Formats: sequence, C-alpha cells, structure tokens
Amino acid sequence: MMKKNHLPAKIFLFLFLLMFIFLPFIPLVLTSFSYNWIWPNVMPESFSLSAWDYVLFENSSTWQAIGVSLLIAFIVTAVNIILAVPAANAFVRYPLRGKWLFEAIIFAPIVIPPFVAVMGIHLTFLRIGLTETIFGVVLAHISPTLPYVVRAAITSYSTLSVDWENQARMLGAGPFSRFYHVVLPHLMPGIAAGASLSILISLSQYLITFIIGSGQVMTLPILLFPFISGGDPAIASSYSLLFAGMAIVALLILDLALKRYYKKKQAAAAIKGVRE
Amino acid sequence: MLRKIKPYLLLFPAIITIVLLFFGGLFDGFLKSLGYFPAIGETEFSLKAYSSLLQSDAFWDSLIVTIRIAALSAAISAILGAIVAVALFMIQETSKSRALNFWNRLFQLPLTIPHLVGGYVIVLLFMQSGFLSKILAAIGVIDQIPDFPVLVNDSFGWGIILTYAWKEAPFVALMVYPVLARIHKQWRDVSRVYGAKNRDFIREIVVPAILPAWTVAAFIVFVFTFSAFEVPFLLGVTYPSMLPVYSYQLYSSGTLVDRPEALAVNLVLALLTVLLGLIAYYFSKRWNVLKGWE
Amino acid sequence: MNQLRITQLEKKFGERKKEENPAFSLKPVHLTIEEGEFFSLLGPSGCGKTTLLKLLAGLEQADDGEVWVGEANITNVPSEARNFAMVFQQPLLFPHMNVEDNIAFGLKMKRVKRAERIERALEMLGHVGLKGYGKRFPNELSGGQQQRAALARALVSDPRILLMDEPFSALDPSLREEMRDLLSRIHQEFGTTIIFVTHDREEAFHLSDRIGVMSDGELVQVAEAKELYEKPASAQVAAFLGLKNILKGSMEAGNFIMENSSLQVAVAGQGEPSMTHMVIHPEKLQLSTDLMEQPTTEEIFFEGTVKQLRFNHGFYLCIVQTENIELECSISSRQAEAVSIGEKVKLSVHLKDLHFISQ
Repeated sequence: MMKKNHLPAKIFLFLFLLMFIFLPFIPLVLTSFSYNWIWPNVMPESFSLSAWDYVLFENSSTWQAIGVSLLIAFIVTAVNIILAVPAANAFVRYPLRGKWLFEAIIFAPIVIPPFVAVMGIHLTFLRIGLTETIFGVVLAHISPTLPYVVRAAITSYSTLSVDWENQARMLGAGPFSRFYHVVLPHLMPGIAAGASLSILISLSQYLITFIIGSGQVMTLPILLFPFISGGDPAIASSYSLLFAGMAIVALLILDLALKRYYKKKQAAAAIKGVRE
Repeated sequence: MLRKIKPYLLLFPAIITIVLLFFGGLFDGFLKSLGYFPAIGETEFSLKAYSSLLQSDAFWDSLIVTIRIAALSAAISAILGAIVAVALFMIQETSKSRALNFWNRLFQLPLTIPHLVGGYVIVLLFMQSGFLSKILAAIGVIDQIPDFPVLVNDSFGWGIILTYAWKEAPFVALMVYPVLARIHKQWRDVSRVYGAKNRDFIREIVVPAILPAWTVAAFIVFVFTFSAFEVPFLLGVTYPSMLPVYSYQLYSSGTLVDRPEALAVNLVLALLTVLLGLIAYYFSKRWNVLKGWE
Repeated sequence: MNQLRITQLEKKFGERKKEENPAFSLKPVHLTIEEGEFFSLLGPSGCGKTTLLKLLAGLEQADDGEVWVGEANITNVPSEARNFAMVFQQPLLFPHMNVEDNIAFGLKMKRVKRAERIERALEMLGHVGLKGYGKRFPNELSGGQQQRAALARALVSDPRILLMDEPFSALDPSLREEMRDLLSRIHQEFGTTIIFVTHDREEAFHLSDRIGVMSDGELVQVAEAKELYEKPASAQVAAFLGLKNILKGSMEAGNFIMENSSLQVAVAGQGEPSMTHMVIHPEKLQLSTDLMEQPTTEEIFFEGTVKQLRFNHGFYLCIVQTENIELECSISSRQAEAVSIGEKVKLSVHLKDLHFISQ
C-alpha cells in the first residue's frame, strides 16, 4: 500500500498514538504529587507526598475499601465462572429448543443498563435485609458481569472440537476426568479473558454498589467519588491512580496466575511423558 | 430422558440467576412504576407516573440532552477511533507480531481504567483552570482563567462527550483494525494492476470494507453512552441531566412519591435500549463484518 | 511489433526475506516474448517464476535490468500505469462489489463512463460463460466461477499483456480442464499475449506456444513443448518434466560411459567432452522377450528382469531391473499381457533416439 520508507510519517504516528493514550495521565500524576498547583503554572510549584501519605497511610478506609472491592470482584467472578461454564457447554454442544430466548435472557444485561434492575429490586432487597451487606452487593454485581463470562466461555467451547473428548473416552476417561483434563485446560484462556472483564466491571461499579450498599459497603469508587466531585484535587488524583492501579494489578494477577497454571501443566505433562 | 433435558439442566443455574436478579428487578421496578407497592399498602395500578412523566418538561429535555450527548460521543469517538486504527495499521505494516502485541496491550489501558477515573482525567485536563488551560496560558493564547471555555460540568455536556470520545475511541479502533488488517498486500496488488492509485484504493476498497464494522462500533458507543450513569453524574450539570442521572435524581429525591416516576423513566430507558440493541444486532448480522477479505 | 523484451532482469532478496518469501533471488533473465504468444513459465515452487511475473507486473522492483514493450521502456513505470492485466491464484474479487462492478473495476480506474463499462463487463461475462451472473456477489459464486470472473476482469480492459499466476491450481481437476479450454479459446479469440506461471507441466504443455523452464531463480531453458520434452537442457529440467531413465555418466574417448555400468555408447559425431547425462524416453525403449536377438550398430540393448507393471491411463509402464539401473519403458496393454513379473526381457533403443545432456 505505501512504499517502503515513510519513516518520518511512522514516527509521527507512533508519537500521536502514545500521546493519545498517555497525555491525559500527565495532569493526573502531577496533581497527585502536588501541594498546590496554581494557574497558570504548567508544573506544580511545589511537590509533596502528603496526598499519597493520606491516601495510603493515614486514611484506614483506603485499604479496607480496596479489600472490599477486590473481595466482591473475586467472589462475583468465581460465581460467574461456575454459572457460565455449564451454560456455555449447553449453548455450544447441545441442541436447544428456544435457544434464542435463552441467549436473549443471558445477554440482556449488556443491553439494558443494570441500574434499572437494581433500582427496581432495591426495595425488595431492603425488605429481605440484603441491603447494606456485601452479600447483597455481590448479588447486584452478578447481572452486569455474568453475560461477559458466558460469552467468553461460549467462544472457548466453540473452538474445542468434540474429537478431543472422544479420544479421551476411547482411552478410558470418565466424564469428570475428561472435563478436568481435556475441557478445562482448553477453556482456561477464554475463561480468563471473561474473568478479567468480570473483575474489571465489578471493580468500577458505583451506582449499583451505592444503591444496595447504601453507603455502608465501602468500595474504592464509593470512597473516591466525593473527592473527585469537588474535593482536594491532590487526594482525588491519588485515589484515581490507586483505583486505576488496582484494576491493572488485578488483571495482571489473573494473567500471571494463568501463565503459571500453564507452566505447571506443561511441566507435569513433560514429567508424565518422560515417565511413560 | 436424561440426555434430552441435560442441556436445560446445565443452563438452569445461569438462567435462573439472571431471571431472578435481573428480570426480577426489571419486573419489580415496573410494578412499582405502576404504583403497585404492597409493602406500604399501595395495591392499585395506575399510570399516573407515566402520564406525569410524559407531561414533564424535565423529562423531554433530559431525553433530548441524552440523545445529543450520546450521538456526539459516538461520532467523535468513531472518528478518533478510525484515525487511531489507520495509524496503527500504517505503523504495523512492516513490523510483525511483536509490535502488534505491544499496541494491543497499550490500547487496553484506556479501556481498563474505570470510567470515573476517565472522567476525572478529563476534568483535570479540560476544566477552566485545568492542564490545557495552563498550557494555553503559558504559550500566550489566553490571559485569564475565564478565557478558557467551560467544558466540564457544562450544560451542553462537553465534559461527558470528551470523556467518552477518549475512552471509547480505542474500542472503535479495536473493532475496525482487524478489518483493516485483512486488507493485506494482495488486495493492494490486485487494485494496482487494474490501475488504482493509492487514493482510489482507499476510496474504493478500504472505506467500503471498514464501513460496516465502523458503523456497528459507533452504534454500540451510542447505546452505551445513552444508558451510562457514572460519567454524566460526575461531569454533567443538575439540569438538564442525562436520563440515567435524571432517574437517579428522582429516585433519591427523598420522597417516596417520586419513586414511581423514577422507575417509569427506567422502563422507558430499558425499552429504548432494547430497541437500539435490536437494531444494532440486526445490522451487524446483516453486514457480516469480516467475511470475504481473507 | 509489440514484443515484450526482458533484458538482464535481476532481483536479490536479503537473508531475512528469504524465510518470509520463498521465491528467492532471481538470476539475470533474458527473454523475448512475441505479441500474441502464449508463454508459460514452468518450474517447481520457489523457483522464482512468481517473482519474475511480479517484476513484469510492476508489483516488485528489479535490482537491475530492463523491461521493454515494443519501443517503450517500462522498467520504471508503476504497476497501475502499465496496462497489463493479472489473474492471481486466488480470484481476489472485491467482496463488497457485485460481479459486474468487479469486472468493470479496471475500466472505472481508467475513468470510463458507467454505462459503457457495465456494457463491456456484461459482454465479457458472456465470453467466460457467466452470463446473467452480473448482479451476484463473489461469495455467491463457486471457486471456478470466481476465477472466470477474475479472468473476465482481466480481459475487459483489453490489456497489452495478460499475466497469470497459477490461476487454476486451487481448482479441482475437472474444473481445471474446463478453465484450460476456456483460456485456450479466449487466447484464440482475442490474440492477447499471455504469460502463464504454473508448476503443472501438463498444463504448460497443453496451453503454450513456448515454455520457459525455471529452476533456483534461473531461466534454464526456453523452447516449444515438443523440443523441451525431447531435448531437455539439464538433468533438473528432465526430472521436472517427469522424464525417466535419466542416466549419469561421463565421456571418454568418444564413448559415453554410464556410471555403475559396463555399458558404453559410441557417440562419435554427437559427442562433447562435457556430457554428463543420457536420457532415454520410455516410449523410445522397445521391449522384447526374444533374448537371442543381437543389437545392430544403430541400437543399444539392455538386458534385465521385469520388476513391475503399472497401469497408467490405457497403457502400461514396465519397470525393468537391468544390471545396476532401473529402466522404465511404455508398452501397450497387449504387450503387457504377454509379459510377467520376473521374466527376463530385452530393451532396445535407437542411438538417434538417445538424448545427451551437458551440464
């Protein structure tokens, strides 16, 4: 399409893309380390760690909020995986009457904003006593996240040819054995992708956590919000970075866990191969 | 017998969960919007909430604002996304999978950071005393803070639009890029042999090829922005507010009287998103985005 | 006369590109192709034939050498201005346009008006046997139909030269034959110069006026099919053409002495010191069960036992193990019935039917 040497154009594009992604973070980082940043100084006049100090060390709610956020996210994701895998199995490998209806039901929360359902069910939760509890918030987080895990599992299942399982059957493997040794390893990457999305979405929820939690269940976004809607910019920036960082770290952990799982599997398989 | 019902058994946990939690919530909200609230003694159905909603200026203003902001967000993120995709494609041309991996990872960054953070980032950049304003002052374009336009918490909604334009552009790019990547060298060779210069190639081949994916992506951004709460709540104004915020304002206004109206707004919102969702689904199936270009 | 003259055309690829690009360096090529000729480039995968074709199309830049068409030096003319047409291995019809728009594409690039280009496209559709398919989309056509459409696209703009890169290799055998016939017919009708790349020797033999055999980036021999078959210029060419009975040896005092054998052949008059191989065409070997017969001075004999009889489309290939060499000879079904495996037989061939190669 283009002749070989458009190097200056390429460099320009490269920089453009980098700037597009990173430029917005510059004021965020600078503000978090600033003491006072008066207009029109392009850099803060004085730097200070006081905001970070407050966020990380002085305010005990910070770590509690992080803990609660992560706890909810992981529980929600675990539940999602348990629900999604059999469902995806059913969708991909079995004939279903009314498949379209089941698909519509499961994917509805992607189309209809989840807070609609949460506002609706709020008062019922209140009566049952689920509000202001982590359990209640977990329940509320399932709807927005489950469809993505199901979708990822479906994609994964559809690339798994039945031949693999048939092969295992011929070699004498029963259903659970087959699932554990053949199906699950194949599904892992797809499930990991879906799980990442699930964790991410759960971590960033504000409204539905606020409605059900009624301010008692303190996740990081809830803690963050008052600061970013008019509080101290330095603290707000620090919390924002922490929030973004938490999301990235959670995803990295998942990524690493998956890689280690694979390494172990490969090592185990290699050993088995040698022994046999 | 077991074999026949097995798939339904496998589906049951997921389905029942969504039905109870999600559809149950929708239905619950619907009932309450009709005034049916046995817990406080209201057992009569009434369309009062809906009629007052349709007669309230606030609702219509909110709807208009929502459509406007969603449309602009979709349009701008679509344009930015297309530019980013093309830029990516042109860079990727000679480099191999290492580079592609790097960019894929990099682009996940705006997609990974939570919406509230994205919103705040825009606040810091675009508020009247914000970063861009400072830069402009430093190079002499403006003299005082009020010289910089109001782009955050403004009644037009620019803050919201900018946030979604930035955050969703990578999404559009990631949906368009695979199509671009498939228009590989062979297609360029064919068109060259038949006399197409670069300009012709882009106009006749590239643009029609990416149009379906691009349109679908833009539409998805539209629907998403339409029904979003967090960013409009942070970056919008009290009046007129986007529909989800409007609904929340009614819901949390303190009196139980407004709740049915809030839930009525929600129902309208739900119906609109379902309609838009069906349209998007229909078109994406019809245009069958990637077929034929291998 | 609009000859295509290729002089000294050369292309080198660097080490890294060699892995990505199997068609590696092209050694200097000299070739003249006449107007209206059907010329095939024949050779195994990776021999450079596609590279040469792409150089002619202008899709690759040569490192050295020139390409002339008639009086015009087109070496540096970009692909889009050469007015050649090309059909690739894949039909590469644009998926988002219907068939008639696809065919008219080249005309559109020449800014021909819509009415005229559609008319010409539809006419060409008729020539390739796709009448009525104009409004369909490529994904609604079969592989063979798509290639016909690609052919129509190539011809509609009345190109000076039509380049074809293994266009039928992705089709199944009966379809390939159909397409070959179509192409032959079209060549007759339109008189276009065609340069056809293939690795299928039957295809090249069937269609071409002349064939250029390529091997390892080099144009080894250019000749008509018959000459190529009877007088291959190298052992590689012979092997590629599927010739059997390629026997190695060396020259000594006017005799060709075969390796691993005591057999000598007097080649006085034809001999050159550099001769390295002798080729005996299977159909030139005569099989006889009469072991008493003696060779004349015009023949040489081989004695051996029948090792295998293979049926091949109406005649038989008889593989005979003689001394240290296996020879293949063609015999009729009747002869095959009279012979059995393990039987001692005699093979004879006229001296004038032997072909020698100097390498």
